[in-house]
Amino acid sequence: MSVGSQGARPVNPPAEHAEGALPRSYLRPCLLLMLAEGPSHGYDLLEQVRRLGLRGAEPSALYRSLRAMEREELVSSSWEMSGAGPPRRTYLLSDAGHRALHSWVGSLRDVQRLLVTMLDRYDNLVEPAATSRL
Amino acid sequence: MLRALYWRSEILQLLYWLRGEGLGDLVDAPLLERFLGVDAGTGRNHLDRLADEGYLDRDGQWFALSARGLEEGALEFATAFAELNRPAHGECSADCWCHVSAEEATACAAERQEDDRR
Repeated sequence: MSVGSQGARPVNPPAEHAEGALPRSYLRPCLLLMLAEGPSHGYDLLEQVRRLGLRGAEPSALYRSLRAMEREELVSSSWEMSGAGPPRRTYLLSDAGHRALHSWVGSLRDVQRLLVTMLDRYDNLVEPAATSRL
Repeated sequence: MLRALYWRSEILQLLYWLRGEGLGDLVDAPLLERFLGVDAGTGRNHLDRLADEGYLDRDGQWFALSARGLEEGALEFATAFAELNRPAHGECSADCWCHVSAEEATACAAERQEDDRR
């Protein structure tokens, strides 16, 4: 049974379903990218990560990722003293972090190629059936 | 002993981080588990120990930084600050007195901050 034989082409699933399809460790390349764009703080990183598709990202996951990346020397951090309010931790990308980001992007491009191949095949399967119903 | 020191540092750093990011002042054992990956039972023991040592104030299952915990943080921030600024400090060299101890580093950092203000 082909997908097209089941009726109309399915509508796009809600955006939150897309989050589940992202690579399990997608948070890490996102953080590397954001820190390559410039030093940042925890809460700012969390907001940016959510804008990159990880809407359900939790502060605890962010904290653990940043600590792990610090241990691996991909990022470094320092306390930023502030006149008003408590000190905040500022994160910076190291040279090793830049290399890790480059490597991640290579892997993600490979995934992108695989996804495009799969989606093209899906479209070829569905579209002729959808067209034949017109 | 080393393990206790490690967890003291990890827990206090988490509390400073949460505070700095505006994410709250209180932690409990389940929160510790989510953020640090230490199981809640063990985490609770670490929290109780830190409260007994005076670094945390306890209110039922919740813990917050005490005045002593905050002082410990100030020391850490100043030391980290000193580390960052060391190369720019004209008088600070590889054998500068500030390398002797964390307390000396704090004093060195405070002195340099004072210099910057002038």
